[in-house]
Amino acid sequence: MDLDKCIACGLCAEKCPKKVDDPYNAGLSKRKAIYLQYSQTVPLKYAIDPDTCLYKIKGKCQACVKFCPTGAINFEDQGETRTLQVGSVILAPGYQAFDPAALTAYGYGRIPDVVTSLEYERLLSAGGPYQGHLVRPSDHKEPRKVAWIQCVGSRNTTPGGNSYCSTVCCMYAVKQTLVTAEHLGRGEQSQTIFYMDLRSHNKEFERYYQDAKAKGVRFIKSRPHSVEPGPHNIGVKLSYLTMDGTKAEEDFDLLVLSVGLEAPKDAQAMAEKFGVTLDHHNFVKTGSFSPVATNQDGIFVCGAFRSPKAIPRSVAEASAAAMEAARALVEARGTLTREKTYPPERDVSPDEPRIGVFVCSCGINIAGVVDVKGLSEYAAGLPGVVAVENNLFTCSTDTQELIAKKIKELNLNRIVVAACTPRTHEPLFQDTLREAGLNPYLLEMANIRNQNSWVHQQQPEAATAKAKDQVRMAVAKVARDYALERGAVQVVQKALVVGGGVAGMTAALELAERGYDAVLLEKGPKLGGNAWTLNRTWKGDEVRPFLTDLISRVENHPRIQVMKNAALKTVNGSVGNFASQVEVDGALTPVAYGVAVLATGGQELQPKEYLFGQDRRVITHQQFDTMLREQAANLQKANSIAFIQCVGSREPERPYCSRVCCTHSVTSAIKLKELNPQMNVYILYRDLRTYGLREELYTRARELGVIFIKYYPDNNPRVFTDGPDLKVEITDPILQMPLRLTPDYLVLAAAIIPNAAQDLVELFKASVNAEGFFTEAHPKLRPVDSMVDGLYLAGLCHHPKPLDEAISQAKAAVSRAGLVLAKEVMQLDAIKSQVTEKCDGCALCLDVCPYKALKLEEYRDNGHAHRRIVSDKALCKGCGLCEATCPKEGVTIHHFTMDQLKAQVDAVIESLN
Amino acid sequence: MSDNFEPVILGFLCNWCAYAGADLAGVSRLQYPPNLRVVRVNCSGMVHPDLVARALDKGVDGVMVMG
Amino acid sequence: MISIHILTLAREIGVHRNTIRNWVKTGKINARPGPGKGLLFTPEGFQALCQEFQLQPEHLQFKVLTRLSAPDASPSTANPLATREEHVSEKVIGSVMVVGGGIAGIQASLDLADQGYYVYLVEKSAGIGGKMSQLDKTYPTNDCAM
Repeated sequence: MDLDKCIACGLCAEKCPKKVDDPYNAGLSKRKAIYLQYSQTVPLKYAIDPDTCLYKIKGKCQACVKFCPTGAINFEDQGETRTLQVGSVILAPGYQAFDPAALTAYGYGRIPDVVTSLEYERLLSAGGPYQGHLVRPSDHKEPRKVAWIQCVGSRNTTPGGNSYCSTVCCMYAVKQTLVTAEHLGRGEQSQTIFYMDLRSHNKEFERYYQDAKAKGVRFIKSRPHSVEPGPHNIGVKLSYLTMDGTKAEEDFDLLVLSVGLEAPKDAQAMAEKFGVTLDHHNFVKTGSFSPVATNQDGIFVCGAFRSPKAIPRSVAEASAAAMEAARALVEARGTLTREKTYPPERDVSPDEPRIGVFVCSCGINIAGVVDVKGLSEYAAGLPGVVAVENNLFTCSTDTQELIAKKIKELNLNRIVVAACTPRTHEPLFQDTLREAGLNPYLLEMANIRNQNSWVHQQQPEAATAKAKDQVRMAVAKVARDYALERGAVQVVQKALVVGGGVAGMTAALELAERGYDAVLLEKGPKLGGNAWTLNRTWKGDEVRPFLTDLISRVENHPRIQVMKNAALKTVNGSVGNFASQVEVDGALTPVAYGVAVLATGGQELQPKEYLFGQDRRVITHQQFDTMLREQAANLQKANSIAFIQCVGSREPERPYCSRVCCTHSVTSAIKLKELNPQMNVYILYRDLRTYGLREELYTRARELGVIFIKYYPDNNPRVFTDGPDLKVEITDPILQMPLRLTPDYLVLAAAIIPNAAQDLVELFKASVNAEGFFTEAHPKLRPVDSMVDGLYLAGLCHHPKPLDEAISQAKAAVSRAGLVLAKEVMQLDAIKSQVTEKCDGCALCLDVCPYKALKLEEYRDNGHAHRRIVSDKALCKGCGLCEATCPKEGVTIHHFTMDQLKAQVDAVIESLN
Repeated sequence: MSDNFEPVILGFLCNWCAYAGADLAGVSRLQYPPNLRVVRVNCSGMVHPDLVARALDKGVDGVMVMG
Repeated sequence: MISIHILTLAREIGVHRNTIRNWVKTGKINARPGPGKGLLFTPEGFQALCQEFQLQPEHLQFKVLTRLSAPDASPSTANPLATREEHVSEKVIGSVMVVGGGIAGIQASLDLADQGYYVYLVEKSAGIGGKMSQLDKTYPTNDCAM
């Protein structure tokens, strides 16, 4: 395929005679041997599947070549091997879904109505095989009663399974239940999840899970042992044991297997090629303190190839890997990229509009439905239009040259392209305008392909009439276009880091290593934060040596200024250019910086329950770690130690999971068993959340004889003293009877709460969620950017997380901050709000602005005081909520002015008269 | 009103979602009646009530704001 | 000449990198600063280093950044890295190869390209987007995955 020539018209696929299963839809639908991977695929170009193409396998056909209107297909093309010279490599090959066919008890492949979760995802999708109409495979009827089985291929030490937890399945199953309920709408329906431990451990996940429960999704703690087909091989029959040991059977319309994540099948080959070491699951081995580095210098890894993980952590790790890759290449930055140069822009403001309209036939994609000749003639008669051309492909290189030539020859000053969608092609045509000396914002597109010829294929006359309307609307708008400048901000190439824990120090150090000055603020007298209280990471590495090394590197780095006992007092400015006053011992110091990283950390909750503070044998995790460090002999002598999980977490007051406590209790229990194998160690838990590869620690703890007892929130353990003894009473849900423990120590897995940061929230106009954790710009795709541009988040202030995740988030924050710091001058978008002379300072727009980009100012004119709005171009995103709110057109958005929108509305109405 | 009445519907479509959705309908060749005229906006929140009133006042049969 | 990253050596020997730098200055180890943060050793100097700190040359072999001339008596002719090293130049190269065009690969590429690095994004299928492109909605906001 010649990607420059393919216009993604799809004629090739229409004519291709070979149908094959579509892997994108998990084999549930068919595609051709020449295909688009999916309809929004990037690049939007057709590809030939060499394994199924008739010409490739049998040497004859080439129907696609015959019908391709642009000559983009050439079977003479051979694969080529290219040699790339690169400074760093990032491995991000992702994962593959577990294939449940080997686990025969689940009936996958034997029973039609058993599907994998990925197949189910396609069934739910509007782009899926049934356009989002939820039907089951057997009889294509709506499944009213759907069940999910969790941990298929995960947490399974029998042959064919994986011993680790795949981390994401609990949450995607909960999501699928909720989306299913939306699909089915009214009428009887039910969703049931069979689970072992429900692991909704990440930010806002617990709330989502509780919401699903409240909406009636059934959660049954059980692992069904057999699945049989329903009558006539339709639906399924599940058999399972409940917690109390009763045998149960239930019929379902459809069964979804929540399959786990595995290393890709070519993982070993790839690892050999790059010389990186894999663990026994074929995931890349990484260290506790260098989470994205492999054993090879210059080769980094991110995403599910390190261990199974959900999208936000993959994205954060990707940024961390980018940061590492870039740090090694600091001196070569910008050597292989270049800026394009353009001729000076012609000032068109004094001239009447001279509009050129270019109508694209798009081969037959448009011309096959719309009468492009009639449309061109019509366009020529519109006000301001001085030139009209009809092109076979307006996007082709020769047409670009033609447009540039026409602009110069005919002195055109506005351009309309009637073709496909501006969402993909506007940048191309804007570039053509710039090359011809016109401002790129003097262009409009009329979308007569995606929103016309393609969707009205059977109505050529109506489509042509609509195309005329579309062109008329575009002409009306373009006549009112004016040149726009992209604003610019001088960037202060320096960063502020708030918080001197591991996350903050890592961020400061990485910034400094990248060549940027950093100011590190610590509110206390000492760097290090919570890491001082930790003994080992879950991978078993000692924290202290790492911590002391990190502190000395931070304190001795010439580019880092550490300010202890410091408080941030003021914040002015915005991204690229902030200014603050920092108070140390009563004295104020000014600091200027372009970006800031917030790493204000968190702390262990001081529990109110379970006799904490009343009986000295009741301690928290941090206190336990201190004892283990300083008085291990005392602990070794104990006969019995109990842990209670979720103390203060997953409660109405704090509806989130603190994430690290399950793993911490499990590693502590292992340590105790190693100190004294005779000791009775109990862990009282709600759902044990040793997510990812941590699951193996849970397995090891059980092998060592640690006793795990589940409790429910309506039946919490009761802790009391009986004479000299500390007693813990709990009802075991399996034995169905109360147990009474007499531990020497009771360790409470207390929640992690964020440090108070209300002052920072107000200073930066940032936002926090209900529990006080800073909110990210997008929960999936921008997990380290805060809601405020130029402000990034790392560590516990964002959400509870273990050390390795805090480190990778800090590195990711540096990568994101680097996008701003890399440039001395930061270009802003041109489409921004603009206050007009009609503004009278009523300030209605102030409250609606979601970016806090508007301010009220007072000014004096002829001795009279007036008020008006000022817009901060660095903060404004051009959403236009102000424009829609203003009762007197006192504020408008460039390129979408009220005048332009009205002109478009009026242009529609012209067709009615 | 005659039997072959064809309404003119004006749609304000957000560039980032609804307009993208309309593009996707095209890529997927989903067919729908040709009565919709689209104004692309940077955010559905930028549609001033006056624009809706103006359209209805001048004879458009329906207005959709999608975002 | 054999080049080893100063941090690698620090890690292998178990000292701070500045200590290594000092040793180079005082002549305790026979090496000179090379490109990047590499230290250049002669094959003899490399062997002496391994002996002094009881490092296993076979193990260190994997950490070697560059061989500037043909290695003599290399213990790793079967090492897959050997072919890789042939192409390695002294110059720091301002480009990065990202293997995999899923959400992680895309994000890494964007971050790098926006900071002035040339990125080769290598994807085995016909389009980027990976597994996320097959998802319908994403938790916990039920946003469309597309």
